[in-house]
Amino acid sequence: MEIRGIMSDSRAGEDAHRDRLPLLEVKHCTMEFPGVRALDDVSFALMPGECHGLVGENGAGKSTLSKCIIGENCMTRGELFVEGKKIRISSYTIKESQRLGIGVVHQEFQLMNDMTGLENIFIGHYRTKAGLIDWRALGKKSRELMEFLQCDVNLNVPVKYLRTAEKQIVQLAKAVLYESKVLILDELTAVLQEKDIENIFRVIGVLKGRGMGIVYISHRLGEIFECCDAYTVLCDGRRVDSGRVSDIDKPRLIKKIIGRELTQSFPPINERLGETVLEVEGLTAPKAFRDISFKVRAGEVVGLAGLVGAGKTELVHAIFGNHKVVSGRIGVKGKEVRIRNPRQAIRLGIGLVPDERRALGLNMMFDIKDNTTLPSMAKFRKFKVFQDHKAEAKAAFDINEKLELSYYSLWQNVKNLSGGNQQKIVIAKWMLRDSEIILLDEPTRGIDVGAKFEIYKLINELTRQGKSVVLVSAELEELIGLCNRVYVLFEGSIMDVVDGERKTQEVIINTLLGVKGNE
Amino acid sequence: MSSTIEEKAKRYSAGWKVVKEWVLLLLLLGLVLLCSLLMPKFRTTNNIMNILRQASFTAIIAMGEFFVILIGQMDMSISAIVGMASIFFAGLVVKLGMPVWIGILVVLAIGVVIGIINGALVVYGKMPSFIATLVVMNIVRGFIFLYSKGLPISGLPEGFNFLGSGYVGIVPFPVILMFSIALVLYILTTHTSIGRSFFAVGGNLEASRLSGINVEFVSVLAFVFSAALTVVGALGLTAKTLAGNVTLGDELLFDVMTIVVLGGTSLTGGRGRIFGVVIGALFLQVISNAMILMSINTYWQWVVKGVILIVVVLIDSNTNRDVVTTVAKKAEPVKAAAE
Repeated sequence: MEIRGIMSDSRAGEDAHRDRLPLLEVKHCTMEFPGVRALDDVSFALMPGECHGLVGENGAGKSTLSKCIIGENCMTRGELFVEGKKIRISSYTIKESQRLGIGVVHQEFQLMNDMTGLENIFIGHYRTKAGLIDWRALGKKSRELMEFLQCDVNLNVPVKYLRTAEKQIVQLAKAVLYESKVLILDELTAVLQEKDIENIFRVIGVLKGRGMGIVYISHRLGEIFECCDAYTVLCDGRRVDSGRVSDIDKPRLIKKIIGRELTQSFPPINERLGETVLEVEGLTAPKAFRDISFKVRAGEVVGLAGLVGAGKTELVHAIFGNHKVVSGRIGVKGKEVRIRNPRQAIRLGIGLVPDERRALGLNMMFDIKDNTTLPSMAKFRKFKVFQDHKAEAKAAFDINEKLELSYYSLWQNVKNLSGGNQQKIVIAKWMLRDSEIILLDEPTRGIDVGAKFEIYKLINELTRQGKSVVLVSAELEELIGLCNRVYVLFEGSIMDVVDGERKTQEVIINTLLGVKGNE
Repeated sequence: MSSTIEEKAKRYSAGWKVVKEWVLLLLLLGLVLLCSLLMPKFRTTNNIMNILRQASFTAIIAMGEFFVILIGQMDMSISAIVGMASIFFAGLVVKLGMPVWIGILVVLAIGVVIGIINGALVVYGKMPSFIATLVVMNIVRGFIFLYSKGLPISGLPEGFNFLGSGYVGIVPFPVILMFSIALVLYILTTHTSIGRSFFAVGGNLEASRLSGINVEFVSVLAFVFSAALTVVGALGLTAKTLAGNVTLGDELLFDVMTIVVLGGTSLTGGRGRIFGVVIGALFLQVISNAMILMSINTYWQWVVKGVILIVVVLIDSNTNRDVVTTVAKKAEPVKAAAE
């Protein structure tokens, strides 16, 4: 906790790093979840005083790797060294990683909202005097900390009154206090504005000067060039490349992240389109999205691209009647409709496959059959009152067989199924309900490549039946491979519509990052 | 098509899960057998019928509470509703001279209104059900004490006694009533979409909303069921003594909670069976009956019931955690082998 010591050690030469022992080293890390290989033989080294950018698409394994480093996940195979010392993986926990000085700052806050910044920083590390908390000493210490970080944050008010960027500073201060040697910043800047990001970069610079190693995870590639010394590119759980940032430029890095050989081909996009079935005009919801207009024709797949927080999820929920809108109109099959709740949306033939299938898509206490037939129970009634369980089971069986679901019994609980299979059931719900418009929110998140391809086939199959699909995805490749048209959202508004020849990853990436230029 | 629907159904039914569902019944039968062997007084027809009769009204009230717990909420107001139904019914019939059936309809209607208030506070007011129903309980209790000044109202017509103590053949009428209600509710919960909706809402509220279930209606309905069935139970209890009494339901809440949980209803909602509740009520009644026959101090019953509740809740909250891999691994090869 000696801050003076920190400040004196503030110059560290670039070249000196190479001879030093890495602060943190991951060797041949493989991480397997049931049915999914999230990381495949990934190696990663972090030098003292280095900011190491970890980049890759969603689902590439960035957060899994960081979870392996902090001990939240236990890697299946591989070795972990902290300052040259080998760690016993089997007994490695978050607590252990904290003891070794590995800290994490998330985009989401881990602060007690109603306590002051001061209390938040020192919680668990109170200094006492005669058995009482010595607030004066803590106050002095916190001023030293803030001076060190060269920030001015009011630490005497509950943190809920602080701005987002100030909360980040509090979290960083906490990490400094804990004497972290390694700091993982996970999408720290995703919700920050330009000016605040500059400040964070400056703080990162200060921390680097102290000899800390920083793992910087971000979607914004510009930031990698601004504040990182080294980079590692992950793709589908494999390390594609790593090196020094000074040796690479942005276009080449983008290529590395996205420009792999297609390991699978997408089914051909359906070109036989029918009438317009869904029309959204000027849809606005405060703090989520504004003035959204788009059309979807029968048999068409329309994509929505955008970063986290761009308003994609809120938009599909709004169409489904589950998010409040203040203005705008929605038309279904040429008729203007008012959708106030999901029930009305379902009656109009809309189905939503939500992004969090465990929390929103499935009832984990129900079996496969009950989950599949939940929205269409009314279709299976005897004398209009009693549920016809046999007919329900038959229908659920037929649809799930068609989707090639791997299952043991229809009466098996859904929570034991793999992610891909669970997602198929959520889609099966709406196929059984005969929904005409299917809103898919991140349908392939967290499911492995094979299952992803099956979902793609399924989407294609839906469009062939003349159904319309709105596809929200963070994976650009997916959007480009599946959609007739992609709308790009940036901070709640549609910035661009890409189709035909302009439908390339470069164009979309630039728009969704807000650069919208030519690089 | 890898396998037929029958095959996939059969694979499931052979599991241990079926045994688990009936474990309480087995325990009950074991307990009855044990008591019968040890105590000659226990195994008389009279005593058995007595147990059934005494369990029946608590069971009916518990079946109401079952729906509230099934949707993952809690109804604390039942003891006040019992008092309300008892005293208002007696007041209407004895003091105002109304016919019994009108009295029943009126208190039932008041019960439904209280249920709607409970449900509305929870669903639209977004209050935690524990607090909302606790507040309603106190308000209702305040009103009934204002009305009765805490004194019982006796002098209900003799014929009304049939509801509480009547017999059809050798079977007490309350027992028939209990099983009839249980049967109707069984059909409701397993064979109608509204019944399935209670499970859906309790299992995952948001997923149910996104699947087009009217979660607000279903939630309010659960509280209405609870209040209405409580009124039915309260009338039965009143009929036994032929007097309205505000404190009639004061010790009931704990028993009812114990019965519902004992009957295999998950406290977090989404899982439970109506006949489980009936079996739970019988189980608890057999225990108190046996303890009375053994002339154990009645206050020991509180201790024993408390221990039972702890054990059952411990079991409930420590099992059924995600056992993710075991079944899934079994599931995959079936498909692969068939192809």
